[in-house]
Amino acid sequence: MDDVQARLAKCFTAVFPELPRSQIPAASLTSVKEWDSVATITLMTVIEEEFGLQFEPEQLEQLVSFPSILEFLRGRKDD
Amino acid sequence: MMKLIDALQIARREPAPGATPLAVALVCGFSPLHLQTFLAANLRLLFPDRQVDVQTGLYGDLAGNLERLETATVDAGAVVMEWSDLDPRLGIRRLGGWGPGDLGDIVENVRAQAARFRGLLERISQGIPLAFSTPTLPLPPLSFMPGWRASAFDLALRESIASLEISVAPHLGLKMVNSQRLSLLSPPGDRFDVKSELLAGFPYTVSHADAVAWMLARLIRNPTPKKGLITDLDDTLWSGILGEVGVDRVSWDLDHRSQKHGLYQQLLRALAEEGVLIAIASKNDPGLVEEAFRTANPILPLSRVFPVEAHWGPKSESVARILSAWNVGADSVVFVDDSPMDLAEVKAAHPDVECLLFPKNDDQAAYELLERLRDLFGKDSVSQEDAIRLESIRSAHAVAEGAPADARSSDRFLEQANGELTLAFAKDPPDPRALELVNKTNQFNLNGKGYTEAAWRAHLAKPDAFLLLAAYQDKYGPLGKIAVLSGRRDGRVLWVDVWVMSCRAFSRRIEHHCLAQLFERFDAEELAFDFVATPRNGPLQDFFVQFVGGPPQPGLCISKKTFFEKCPPLFQTIEDSAHG
Repeated sequence: MDDVQARLAKCFTAVFPELPRSQIPAASLTSVKEWDSVATITLMTVIEEEFGLQFEPEQLEQLVSFPSILEFLRGRKDD
Repeated sequence: MMKLIDALQIARREPAPGATPLAVALVCGFSPLHLQTFLAANLRLLFPDRQVDVQTGLYGDLAGNLERLETATVDAGAVVMEWSDLDPRLGIRRLGGWGPGDLGDIVENVRAQAARFRGLLERISQGIPLAFSTPTLPLPPLSFMPGWRASAFDLALRESIASLEISVAPHLGLKMVNSQRLSLLSPPGDRFDVKSELLAGFPYTVSHADAVAWMLARLIRNPTPKKGLITDLDDTLWSGILGEVGVDRVSWDLDHRSQKHGLYQQLLRALAEEGVLIAIASKNDPGLVEEAFRTANPILPLSRVFPVEAHWGPKSESVARILSAWNVGADSVVFVDDSPMDLAEVKAAHPDVECLLFPKNDDQAAYELLERLRDLFGKDSVSQEDAIRLESIRSAHAVAEGAPADARSSDRFLEQANGELTLAFAKDPPDPRALELVNKTNQFNLNGKGYTEAAWRAHLAKPDAFLLLAAYQDKYGPLGKIAVLSGRRDGRVLWVDVWVMSCRAFSRRIEHHCLAQLFERFDAEELAFDFVATPRNGPLQDFFVQFVGGPPQPGLCISKKTFFEKCPPLFQTIEDSAHG
């Protein structure tokens, strides 16, 4: 697990404390029952704090799983 | 300040086994989101022994949420008002019109809503302690004037809020966020999160949510103020080393560029007048110190100080003697000195004393010290007891110095003191001094249990509950209200759940008199005490030993027969309070 993935996993653990660590890499809006609209806002705010970025509202519609968020963060780092 | 990820983790920490619940209603008209998280985390930190539960209401209905609070079972409420709660056109999620023709109607609407909230807040705060935040966000750009110019419209809205604040401020059950302090923690330009408001109905930036929650949690916690301040003299109370420059050359004014010392003295004098104990610990010639106070007329006069420890011995020893004279715990005391070495020496000997550096070369830092001291000693109100505290400590000291050791001499001493005990049994409404005593008394405390305002009111509201608040005076001066007993009646057994007595009242047999009064007033055959030994209630345990013949245990009971057989002679006269 690289640094970005580990930091993102830490964000998921904070927002979804009941989610087993092993399930975090595959976590998604559909697989995590606690992932509702409030959790989305909380998760995105925690990620914004952790990575020092600001999501645009339209990006939130795409960032619906751990892999998609990880891909976004890695793409941003490559910029 | 706290990050959201940390707040989430703190808020979800498992409470200690057996932790009692602390239910707090967060009452707001917007989506509570991160404010709820930060409030829970801050409360968790301030109430480590409680199981914190922050409950929320319905979106967009501040008034309704407030009304529902009236019947809710909570320990406290945190009420957070924003402009849009007073008129939706003052928010950005509704499009009701910002034209010149709308402004007058908005002002009228805000006035009417503010009056409505005033009534609700006054009523609800009688039953539930409330922490209240008035609008903290900037007004939207709906006035026709440029944003740098104050418009009559803006001012009229702010006048409505100021009137609301002034109206509710005197209510003891309601404590308001100080907007000046909030501005230091959260600059007004950094508060409004437009994206979050539009996306989620949550208008605060993360940092602003943290700041508001930090303040609300402190209002709910309402920390016990420190009781005493011990100050150094040279380069602290005044500028200059007395032994080097002489009495004429120490200063605390603008002319000598030593105004910060004058401000410090001014604050200490105010604290003394508010009932804070002030003492001096200084490595100095005692004769010179006495001369300086007599001839140089400091703003803080010697009459406001007790005791004065001026000599060349270690300051830790001075602090020990001062704590003994005051009879207060080290954790209730602040020590201020310009010498880091002396601060460290005192801290090593008295780790619970809060040691603060007087920054003699930094005006800004000195001013910040004054603010810090105000925070540490800040209280809800100034009572009659506060005004006489120093004199009663002096007289208690005189009593202790003059009190004889043997029982017969003690009897003669107490008899000639002309003590008078005044008893008040009124519990509706309870005298606020009673709860203050319960929560800040350590040494003569039945079990160390503290109460929130709501829990105290609930305790007293039980049909068989009783409350006894005792005040005392003798020829050495008044001590004010110094003892509280509370509990419930069960036939001929009187259960005592709460018993505290100020340490200033020791050695007068007031504690004996209080129990004698309970037996007689309630025609009780037995007193059953909710006794718990604490690390600090040794004086109370010593009192019980004389009746039970050994260390008291939980479940402690004393019969009327045993009590009066073993009770020493009591000399005080008893008066019933005219106020119940």
